[in-house]
Amino acid sequence: MAEEAKCACGIANVGIFACSGGSNVGQIANKVAIELTKQEVGKMMCTVGIGGRIKGLMKSAEGSERLIAIDGCPLNCTKETLELAGFTPDRHIVISELGIKKSKDLDLKDEEVKEALDKIKEILQSD
Amino acid sequence: MKIEILGSGCAKCKKTKEMAEKAVKEMGVEAEIVKVEDFDKILGYGVMITPALVIDGDVKVAGKVPSVEDIKKWITE
Repeated sequence: MAEEAKCACGIANVGIFACSGGSNVGQIANKVAIELTKQEVGKMMCTVGIGGRIKGLMKSAEGSERLIAIDGCPLNCTKETLELAGFTPDRHIVISELGIKKSKDLDLKDEEVKEALDKIKEILQSD
Repeated sequence: MKIEILGSGCAKCKKTKEMAEKAVKEMGVEAEIVKVEDFDKILGYGVMITPALVIDGDVKVAGKVPSVEDIKKWITE
């Protein structure tokens, strides 16, 4: 198992792209993407790298079987970034639509991160 | 020409190397084919999923085994 995890060929090619904007929900999106990666739901990739058209990241997104976009708020920057680069997310989730109000508080509350993570896992499992 | 195969050595990585070797042989071009297993180097290309194939520093594919025809096309680009 450990040997499989070492090689990125062995895991499901689900690319997870998250907002990491300057708000609580942007940072929750980022934190959720990290947790989903740790739980091997998919692999977090660099949204900013897509904005910058970094070749390796673009090719990694192209090579992914599914793309999940997690935005913090309805500005949908992650989804827009992917679409401007020619990618259509298979699933788009907005943290502020999960019952968490957007604010400028960057000190994340553990219970809100957990709430968002649980809801997103539920959404993804329903696919 | 330098062709790098990025990946830690699973079946898909080995298959990608075989495809590259076949493409180079069939085209009769001079190319050095190198296997890159160092994850720092792989991430240095921005590659998040392997296998990946890089020709002269340019990432051509990531996350899937390319066909011989694909590789031939990239070699001639």
